[in-house]
Amino acid sequence: MSKKLTVIPEQCSGCRICEIVCAIKHFGVNNPKKAAIRVLTTYPHPVVRMPIVCSQCKVPACAQICPTDSLRWLDGVVHLDEENCTSCYKCVEACPFGAIYIHPDYDLPIKCDMCEGDPECVKKCPKGALMLIPEAALGESRRLNNVLSYTQMKEIEFYEKGEKKVIRYAEVGKEEL
Amino acid sequence: MSIKSGYFKQHLHIDLTEGTAERRTTGDTFIEKYIGGRGFGAKLVWDNLKKHNFKIDPLGPDNLLVVAPGPLTGVYLPSSGKNSFVAISPATGLYGDSSMGGGFGMELRQTGTDILSVTGKAPELSVLFIDNSETTIFPMPELKGKSCLEAEGMIKERLGTHAVHVATIGTGGENMVRFACVNADWSRNAGRAGMGAIMGAKNLKAIVVRGHKDLPVYDVAGLMEEAEQAFKYMEEHKYFKMWQQEGLMNVIDYANEKGILPAYNFKDSVFARHDQINGTTMVNRYKIGDSACFSCPMCCGNICLVKSGKYTGTVVEGPEYETCAMLGPNLGIDNFAAILSATRLCDELGIDTISTGSIVGATIEGYEKGILSLSDLDGREIAWGDEDAILELIQKIAHRQGIGDILADGSHRIIENWPEMDKIILQVKGLEQSAYDSRASISMGLAYATSDIGAHHTRAWTIAKEMEEGQNWTDDEKVDTVIYHQKVRPLFDMLGVCRLPWIELGLSERHYANFYKYVTGNETSLEELLGLSNDIYDLTRLINARLGMSRKDDILPYKVWANPPLTGPNAGKVIDREDFQKLLSLYYQKRGWDENGIPPDEVEKKFSD
Repeated sequence: MSKKLTVIPEQCSGCRICEIVCAIKHFGVNNPKKAAIRVLTTYPHPVVRMPIVCSQCKVPACAQICPTDSLRWLDGVVHLDEENCTSCYKCVEACPFGAIYIHPDYDLPIKCDMCEGDPECVKKCPKGALMLIPEAALGESRRLNNVLSYTQMKEIEFYEKGEKKVIRYAEVGKEEL
Repeated sequence: MSIKSGYFKQHLHIDLTEGTAERRTTGDTFIEKYIGGRGFGAKLVWDNLKKHNFKIDPLGPDNLLVVAPGPLTGVYLPSSGKNSFVAISPATGLYGDSSMGGGFGMELRQTGTDILSVTGKAPELSVLFIDNSETTIFPMPELKGKSCLEAEGMIKERLGTHAVHVATIGTGGENMVRFACVNADWSRNAGRAGMGAIMGAKNLKAIVVRGHKDLPVYDVAGLMEEAEQAFKYMEEHKYFKMWQQEGLMNVIDYANEKGILPAYNFKDSVFARHDQINGTTMVNRYKIGDSACFSCPMCCGNICLVKSGKYTGTVVEGPEYETCAMLGPNLGIDNFAAILSATRLCDELGIDTISTGSIVGATIEGYEKGILSLSDLDGREIAWGDEDAILELIQKIAHRQGIGDILADGSHRIIENWPEMDKIILQVKGLEQSAYDSRASISMGLAYATSDIGAHHTRAWTIAKEMEEGQNWTDDEKVDTVIYHQKVRPLFDMLGVCRLPWIELGLSERHYANFYKYVTGNETSLEELLGLSNDIYDLTRLINARLGMSRKDDILPYKVWANPPLTGPNAGKVIDREDFQKLLSLYYQKRGWDENGIPPDEVEKKFSD
């Protein structure tokens, strides 16, 4: 079963180690602008640090638009056929996540190849913000977090026409200091 | 020895008066001798001073502002996101520099630039945009009065991209507040020595960079191996996780326990309610995320949000120890939300949190002691812990309103205006003292007194070592420790990396010599590199000496001699003047400077090329 490179933005510190190790691994140079993963930062409203990398979609928008059929999903990775690619960059525009990149030194688009199943960025992330997990396990932590947050909901009892009722509500982000 | 890689050998010189940008090739000897960052800056500032016969108004057009990353900036190794701003400081009138983290320095390097220097004055408020090999200077008067954060947003909008790094000044810099900073990546600051005021004086609101070039590295495989060892060492360190969680905020508890935390303008050196404003409180109640400089696993930056009370909605990166101590206990504030609000305000206005905290603290004490009258304060009372009045005063400083106009000119002008404030304000050479109380550590006192930029802790942070193992140090040991720090620390600024992995996690300085070797191909030893960084300390001393500084200026704030902390482990302790003078003589002797603290003529010859 294929594994998925998963991003946990809440853990990301924006250090960009993922970018530079990706560029060194694939191009042998210290240049994050040649990485297939980039951290996008917004501040202060909202505060987000989000590594953006190919999701290896099973029905890839990039492959659908590719006029030369140079992008194909196989065993959990969308592969780029470098021989066939005409560098029209339609894929770059079509990717809904903006996860395919261009660098002026190269004609070919730069996209994540999952480092043959052992991504360098996952190994080197000092924060555990990048993980490689089995597809079937996707969403597990969200499920758990969701349930946990439900248990933190507050309850108010009240009476309506003599009948005791309970309202539950969430106080997310409003806890008393 | 020879440099084989690691540099673009490009020096971009901007003349804002003429509106010109010129690319110069830097020579091998220059690169080898001055390495980068602070080293490049000190040499260029020295040359510029000589050109102008040592007569330069820090806020005039001739003051050369040098922005320089180092050969290791942006390379894959721990915490390589630093670059230096160097010029004659408007706070001290002497040599000044300040470094910032984040990603600005690396992006500047990626444009193919090792050094950026700026002279002259633009006719109107302008932005300098270095887009790979193209450089443009364009007016953007609409940025006038905009905060650092707003300005960064507006510039990105105008250029139509978020993929640039912006170093900008706020109202403080525009108004030439003498402790204004340069702010990049929203909240990374070159905080000290008034570098923002110099940009303001040059009508330069922002420097924007975008680059895509490979950083030159001689031996990538060797570098990778060395870097992996260093990263592994750090990640296995017992305090690594704590650094990720709390960053420098962990120092609050330490400083309080040791009795070196500034409270009430250094009247005291412990703070009873320190647990309200320490790292634990921050993590539990306010922290919403981490923030790291480029390639740093420690991510000492903390992003905080106030979730309730009157400061609700305040988002800020930080504070770190200095900021928290100077804007918190030093002003009698025990409400962490208020400290966050003040920090955010300083970020927006673009003024240094250490100097601001120090000057506001001195103002409160000055008023308490009757040196400042109510009318001096424009009729607005101020007291310890009075959050509203303090936030208002910070605004007045940046906008130069009322008393703020005098405070904005820093310690020198404050003392000129109210001579008795000399006994209240903690400063050396016109730069306000950092948040480590030196009264219980004479080596820290010596470090503040002999620091080239004024009372700043980063030149030689010997206090922890002396408190822990130096109670019985001989004078020789004290002086040697200060000199060793002053020798090692410039090297980090010259290489363009952060010193925290070394000073806090004990990462060996040997690694840095190896990093340098792999990046530049220059076979050299740590000892040789330290020799070069020690030369920079001589050079900055020489600059200051030629600008009229001597032994008389290597002194400590009045309180350090005369007013001991009231409570805590160091209650009653002060530095004895005679002990200090003895130590200072020994320091000069070991430095090879004369009794008056002036380097001999042969030192000058070292920098004549």
